[in-house]
Amino acid sequence: MAKPDSLGQFEQLVLTAILTRGEDAYGVSIHSKVEELARPKTVSLGAVYVTLDRLEDKGLVKSWLSDPTPERGGRAKRCYRLEALGERALEESAVTAKRVWDGIAEVWGKEWVKQWSKRWVTE
Amino acid sequence: MGNGMRALVGLLLPPACREEVLGDLHERNATLARFCIDAIRTVPHVIASRIRRTADPQLLLLHAIALYLCYYAAAWFEARALLRETWGLARPAIPALLVLLVLLLEDAYAKPGSRSRLQLTRGPLIAFVGVFLAQSLPPKIVLFGGALGLPLTLVLRLFFSPQSTSRQGPV
Repeated sequence: MAKPDSLGQFEQLVLTAILTRGEDAYGVSIHSKVEELARPKTVSLGAVYVTLDRLEDKGLVKSWLSDPTPERGGRAKRCYRLEALGERALEESAVTAKRVWDGIAEVWGKEWVKQWSKRWVTE
Repeated sequence: MGNGMRALVGLLLPPACREEVLGDLHERNATLARFCIDAIRTVPHVIASRIRRTADPQLLLLHAIALYLCYYAAAWFEARALLRETWGLARPAIPALLVLLVLLLEDAYAKPGSRSRLQLTRGPLIAFVGVFLAQSLPPKIVLFGGALGLPLTLVLRLFFSPQSTSRQGPV
């Protein structure tokens, strides 16, 4: 079984966006989800395209063109879905992030965890 | 005006990603002004990414060395004094870099899928004509260098075809 490369932070965001968008994962929807995940930072659509291309080259995602739609000026969407390798890479990243979170929480305490959890809910 | 601007953006985009990028820009932007601003921010990324996907660094290096040596040899035989001038050794690199730039763009803007031998020869021909017109070196050197470099580039491109990513069409 092929071992996935470790992911950069932006790649993690894009893969998470593809995962959460499901069937509706294409340029615009992926970009809006990545912006939501990366807030308060803004993200350019071009950066998302570059990362999608790189992820496709690494074999982590697969893309195909859908049928053209009138709201897009008669243009087709390029839809994306995670490949098995991409799912594994994202899983590994999530586990690592959880370990980082637990490590920090252990040192900085329960109050810090509560404070951040509250901030996430209100943001 | 709006359609003209959209057509211009479409021309700037490499054909392999034109369809989806134009559609995304259309969907995101209701007004022409916003479309243009978004396009200015997005298109350079798309072009750079396409160049990265279609360029083979090893083949590019091989091309660069071969072309430099061709123009260097041409300068050696035709005007040896030119090589002894300040930055003389760098001057044969100018036409070589111009040819490489044209080849990079030609590959990035090629339609996806396999290309015929005739299509593979188009890029080098345009590149060498462009180098001749740019007159970056004396005409005799450019001609002699081109005469050496063109067949070499054609052979390299025919034996090591440029990469073409296999993106899928409609399902």
